[in-house]
Amino acid sequence: MTWVIHILNGVAFGMLLFLLAAGLSLIYGLMKILNLTHGSFYLVGGYIGLTVMQVTGSFVLALIAAVLAVALLGAVIERFFLRRFHLDELPQTLVTFGFLFIFSDLSLWIWGGNPLMLNVPHIFQGSLPMGYYAYPYYRLFLIAVGLLVAGGLWWFQERTRLGTMLRAGVDDAEIARALGINVSLLFTLVFAVGAGLAALAGVLAGPVLSLYPGADFEVLIFAFVVVVIGGLGSLRGALAGALLVGILDDFGKAFFPQFALFTVFVPMAVILVMRPTGLFGRQ
Amino acid sequence: MTSKDTVPFGATAGSHRKQNAAPRRWRAAAMVSAALLMLGVSGLAVRAADPIKVGILLSLSGNFAENGQQTLTGLKMYFDKVGNTAGGRPLQLIVEDTQSRPDTAVTKARKLVQSDGVSVLTGIVSSGEALAVNAYSRDSKTPLVLSGDAGVDELTMPGPLQNPYMVRITQNGRSVASAAAEWAYKKGWRKVVTIGSDYAGGIDTNFSFAQAFCKFGGKVIQAEWPPVGSADFGPYLTNLDRSADAVVVFEPGADGLRLARQYSEFGLKDKLPIMDIYAGMVFESNLPQLGDATVGMYSSLFYTPMLKSPENQAFVAEFQKRMHALPNNEGPNGYVGAHAIVDAIDALHGDISDKMKFMAALRAIKFDSPKGPISLDKYGQVIQTQYIRQVQMVDGKPSNVPIASYPNVDQFWPFTLAELQSFKYGYKESKDSLTDCTHLLAKK
Repeated sequence: MTWVIHILNGVAFGMLLFLLAAGLSLIYGLMKILNLTHGSFYLVGGYIGLTVMQVTGSFVLALIAAVLAVALLGAVIERFFLRRFHLDELPQTLVTFGFLFIFSDLSLWIWGGNPLMLNVPHIFQGSLPMGYYAYPYYRLFLIAVGLLVAGGLWWFQERTRLGTMLRAGVDDAEIARALGINVSLLFTLVFAVGAGLAALAGVLAGPVLSLYPGADFEVLIFAFVVVVIGGLGSLRGALAGALLVGILDDFGKAFFPQFALFTVFVPMAVILVMRPTGLFGRQ
Repeated sequence: MTSKDTVPFGATAGSHRKQNAAPRRWRAAAMVSAALLMLGVSGLAVRAADPIKVGILLSLSGNFAENGQQTLTGLKMYFDKVGNTAGGRPLQLIVEDTQSRPDTAVTKARKLVQSDGVSVLTGIVSSGEALAVNAYSRDSKTPLVLSGDAGVDELTMPGPLQNPYMVRITQNGRSVASAAAEWAYKKGWRKVVTIGSDYAGGIDTNFSFAQAFCKFGGKVIQAEWPPVGSADFGPYLTNLDRSADAVVVFEPGADGLRLARQYSEFGLKDKLPIMDIYAGMVFESNLPQLGDATVGMYSSLFYTPMLKSPENQAFVAEFQKRMHALPNNEGPNGYVGAHAIVDAIDALHGDISDKMKFMAALRAIKFDSPKGPISLDKYGQVIQTQYIRQVQMVDGKPSNVPIASYPNVDQFWPFTLAELQSFKYGYKESKDSLTDCTHLLAKK
């Protein structure tokens, strides 16, 4: 039974990582921006969700409000700041780094320094008994949401017109532009979607991981590990990388606790040596 | 607010002074002669008009911002209570933000002493900052009253860190852990699993627990060390040795909050009791967020807002007015720090020019505080009451109710200084040997 719990745990954590990494990967794939503000999108999204949930008591409203607000924030940042440094990687990265600090201080100012936890929504409270232990329903819900989002993103990319444009933009932005695709609008849209996904991860992670100053930096590192393993710019890679990291992290901590600090980084190093572009990255 | 606060950015006094050097020399000469003249007439009267400057070093941004804010509130509450005067002289507080970084803490300490001319430093949240500022205090002979969390045991033990210009009125790792060990053994627990945050403070605390628990006759049968910032305790919880009588934990910060919820979610709460050293899981601000997940958990600490003493009830009421939340250990620590400074200045009638006399006055303090009776040992470390608390529902709210207390615990208990010095291994050599009582109690 403990094996089942270990696997479920790894997958649930992996799904949270996937939501985080998908946005990061999407943005990099299209725009070649290494978006360090991604950690802030996660944290600010989580905090907004927390406040909305405290006021309205509704988890669904909290999710919607956080995703919309942060997507809008992302669009504004892309439109008015990143746009000025198009394809200029260093300044872009520095701008996103600056925003990371600004949002970090702003959220400390607004929400204070104590770690805060979202309440588990009513229907997912309680745990499924499993032998000596029990397994929280909420984590099963996380797995379901992760799979749903992964399926949705796949459908969006492969089956919709916008997705086709997106893939064209990733392959060759200039030709796409020449074919009449409004790549500039696409950029803003993708940045907003990526930010929204991070906010979704923030709210969903709230009841498990809690929100606190510094969480933005911590999750950023996780997201990077996932996209490095999966391959920057690839959704499939983000999913595979996230599940791999989630499961390896759980099993590593359970069976090789003395290496707990490295369970996430050893696979990354190994994969970087074997496949520098990641599992699904392009050469 | 009656005190003149200088908030973090206001380091302007020094830069003003640098202008026009020529008149400065003349002014200095005039001032020196005037001072000498007046000193001859009535030394005390002049000094009575001067404010005593108190430099407060706290993390007001960065990882420990909340700890800093709570400590600052406690400090100000006591200074306000005495009208910001001590020994007949006004007190002037100058607050500096250390940004939770040791190097910044030293820079700010130097600024406070050399440019603002403070007579005493206080505050300091993290142990890293405490070690750095302690060295500066010793070198510059500046009195330092640690009133923040920094709990490294060695700071106040005879040894390389010893500093005659420092006292600590807050805490140290060993005492809180020892109280937990004593109570755990009396409760009938003989075999426990420890979970400790994997950094110096966590290893030191759980080592102190294991050592004391071994002395009483118990034994740690499994020691888990999740890294700081562990997102998920699932792998550790499913790996627990279930033959244990209880689980003993040291997990501060967000880790404690996560573990508290996950422990009950994984169905362990009613199977293996928890003893939470330092109350990282059942921290005051965590309780309202966790519903009944923490009810029944035990913790050890030198304070709980549920203490019924008049000092504490007045303190809690005022603290809630200022912070709109219940105090945890930091507010009372700041409050006691300010009380110690004020009492020492009072004892010398405001004349703290002789630093050794001032330090002696600090070491001699004795008063009742929100934490309970306070005094200091000859090494400058606080002697205070340690409490065992249990989360119970009071007026519908989960609260840390005191269920046992250990008065007058000194920093060495349950050992003596000589015993501690005779042990062969410290916490640094013991992370992998917590389950081995012969190792923990081995003599040199």
